[in-house]
Amino acid sequence: MPTRSFREDFPAVPESLDALQDRLAAAWTDLGADVTDHDRLRFEMAVVEIVANIIEHAGLTDTRPPVRMITCVVTVDDEEVRAEFADDGRPAAIDLSAVFMPGEDAESGRGLALAVAAVDDLRYEREDGINRWTVVCVRS
Amino acid sequence: MTEIETTVTERGVGVVTPKGRVTMTTAPRLREAVTDLVDAGTIRIVVDLGETTFLDSSGLGSLVAGLKHCRQGGGDLRIARPTAAVSTVLQMTNLDRILTPRDTVEEAY
Repeated sequence: MPTRSFREDFPAVPESLDALQDRLAAAWTDLGADVTDHDRLRFEMAVVEIVANIIEHAGLTDTRPPVRMITCVVTVDDEEVRAEFADDGRPAAIDLSAVFMPGEDAESGRGLALAVAAVDDLRYEREDGINRWTVVCVRS
Repeated sequence: MTEIETTVTERGVGVVTPKGRVTMTTAPRLREAVTDLVDAGTIRIVVDLGETTFLDSSGLGSLVAGLKHCRQGGGDLRIARPTAAVSTVLQMTNLDRILTPRDTVEEAY
């Protein structure tokens, strides 16, 4: 199967999350109809947590329009499903190797732990003032 | 747009049914639906997840908050009919230990 991808630029607002999930749901047919349901789900789980994290944190210092934009590129090939996100919001103070699943009674703090657990590789880099997140799901 | 339906059965059990995805945009409404029921005196609640196509960490947070609120009021919150997507996220976060899925809404109490 050749590599297939789509790019979507969206504002860093909560409503964008639904739109991105709609876009992803519609894209599977073109991107890779043979990607298993389980791989689609764990990929989507990680993508949703990362995008929610970007929306919640990257735009916090914005006090007026225009709203910050997030660039998303999703790529599918025979080996993996990958999402790359870029935004120019404030740096994320995150050490992904130190993320842990909180206790059962915690009402928050599961997002990144869930993303780490869901996919095979999750990376965050700050490069030239840009936050870059990479989500990789190795296809089963 | 995800709808959150709330009903109270003849036996006084509150049934909250999120229809669609529960993420950061809808999780606060789920939490509110449970809180409203408890505050109005319905302390036994079932969240019917049979039509919940996706649940993220904020949705899990709302369920945990709802569970705590119910128990503080002397009641309980249970979940029923989770879809495959919801079951997966419950297992990955170990929350299936405190939110044990029931096969039907009626079986919850």
